[in-house]
Amino acid sequence: MHRYIFKRILEIIPVILGVSFLIFCIMDLAPGDATSVLGAEGMTTEQLAALRHELGLDQPLLMRYLNYMRGMLHGNLGTSYISGRSVVECYFERLPNTMVLAFASIGVAILLSIPLGIYSAIHGGSIADNISMVGALLGLSIPNFWLGLLLILWLSLGLGLFPSGGMKGPASVVLPAITIGTELMASLTRTTRSSMLDVIRQDYLRTARAKGTPESKVIWVHALRNALIPIVTIIGTQLGHALGGSVLTETVFAWPGVGRLIIDSITSRDTPMVTGSIILTTITISIVLLLVDIIYAFIDPRIKAQYAGGRSK
Amino acid sequence: MTTERMNNEARVSVVKKYKKRSQMAEIWRRLRMNKGAMAGLVIVSVLVFIAVFADVILDYDTQVTGQNIMERLQWPSAKHWMGTDEMGRDLFARILYGTRISLSVGLVAVAVALLFGVTLGSVAGYFGGVVEDVIMRVTDIFASVPNILMGIVIVAALGANTLNLMIAIGVTSVPMFVRITRAAVLTVRNQEYVEAARAVGITEAKIIATHILPNCLSPIVVQTTLRVASAIISASSLSFLGLGVPVPSPEWGALLSAGRQYLRTNSYLTFFPGLAILVTVLALNMLGDGLRDALDPKLRK
Repeated sequence: MHRYIFKRILEIIPVILGVSFLIFCIMDLAPGDATSVLGAEGMTTEQLAALRHELGLDQPLLMRYLNYMRGMLHGNLGTSYISGRSVVECYFERLPNTMVLAFASIGVAILLSIPLGIYSAIHGGSIADNISMVGALLGLSIPNFWLGLLLILWLSLGLGLFPSGGMKGPASVVLPAITIGTELMASLTRTTRSSMLDVIRQDYLRTARAKGTPESKVIWVHALRNALIPIVTIIGTQLGHALGGSVLTETVFAWPGVGRLIIDSITSRDTPMVTGSIILTTITISIVLLLVDIIYAFIDPRIKAQYAGGRSK
Repeated sequence: MTTERMNNEARVSVVKKYKKRSQMAEIWRRLRMNKGAMAGLVIVSVLVFIAVFADVILDYDTQVTGQNIMERLQWPSAKHWMGTDEMGRDLFARILYGTRISLSVGLVAVAVALLFGVTLGSVAGYFGGVVEDVIMRVTDIFASVPNILMGIVIVAALGANTLNLMIAIGVTSVPMFVRITRAAVLTVRNQEYVEAARAVGITEAKIIATHILPNCLSPIVVQTTLRVASAIISASSLSFLGLGVPVPSPEWGALLSAGRQYLRTNSYLTFFPGLAILVTVLALNMLGDGLRDALDPKLRK
């Protein structure tokens, strides 16, 4: 098991290196560089060249990337062109705000979607099943920035129930969490339903019933445990992406999270900030996916046995 | 429940009657029985019709981008079904014309992704070994950046216009096609008929094109439909952020973004463009789900 975790951590490293190189190269294509942001208008050509040299911008792409990597090993992803602050610092300042939204929306989605998906699977073809499946399809198809704006229009401007934006107390979490949660709920309900449907007709459940196991235990313990792998996969992927910051939701609700940090940096051409935040986002997502893989082993002893394979234990 | 049983009975009798029908006809028959899929197909057909004939239905310069300050910010009425915007342009006309932009961005982006994704995926799946490792690792790298962030970065680097929007969304869609194609090819490549084709000396490229891919089509077709739906959402998302189709062209996300400033006073400017996106995406998703059921009846319970 330890060996497996160690192996998975090693596998993350090339992905992070690859992503950082990729983003570094793409951002290099962007028009203008630091000198166009740093208020260098009045400078002479010589002064500009000196400034570029000072910032290391006159070196070839590969050299700049290697320098960047050297910094990364020391936990330094450069400083913002705009505020002059450390990129890593800015990112971790925003991350908790994004985490609040991510956990709130995923928590609600799990609490509502799993029972709903199980109910739909057991009562396949019923009116409730049809309604929840149509609802899930709607949830998957609705553009979330539009949903956010409608929520502001109806619940905030209309009824005055919640603030329309910003981060001021628990009430301001509700609307952005619903916006992000809708999409999560939709796909989680669909996954739970189809995963349960795969399990629900299997013989071992009939055996459990024949032995007199109460129906609720058959469903919630025997069936759910085997249906859980795809569900956990979806939750993990969603959590990863939610922690990556919901750029659109954070924009609509003026929420000071990671997504807004990235979009604001794009608008102000703050290249180090963009590159750094996206690399950190990818690392965050990779860590979440690693945790999901470890959780698998706890849910499914068969997977655990596979990892332990070869050693007598 | 009873309707489903009746459907099943009807299906059994129909299958008996038309056993000799081709596979395509069989798939079409299954698709036709799915109400959601047919509704999706009808809506998509109407949208494609509007997109193709947008020029005939509307005059771009006067009806779509022509300003008419006298009639600015009017609520929906018999004359302007969806009201007018801050320049006095008819929102309904702009949304109709926007169909052409959204559908073409979605289709072109997915077509690009399909071309690269299917090629790389089938090469990886068919040849295996180092080639597969390299392709799949690079795919992992591309896939590990969230789609919307990747799209934002590409558009920001290349500049905000329609072509770059298509490229950005195309690139973000490639990994999924690579993975799906590879998985499908892996299930087919060791079958006897492939071995037979190799034994008679057909070239590898031809084996992939004529023997392997035709048997991998179902998952690719389904994903293409669903992917066009998400491409349309991504395109409007980027335009909403100001990183897509430039003004004054009436892309739905851009319309939403412009209308947002008037949310308090003229909410219809936000409502209708979003509704257009929702209807389009919903129709494509219904069609995609229906295709999945029709192409793989085993999944249908």
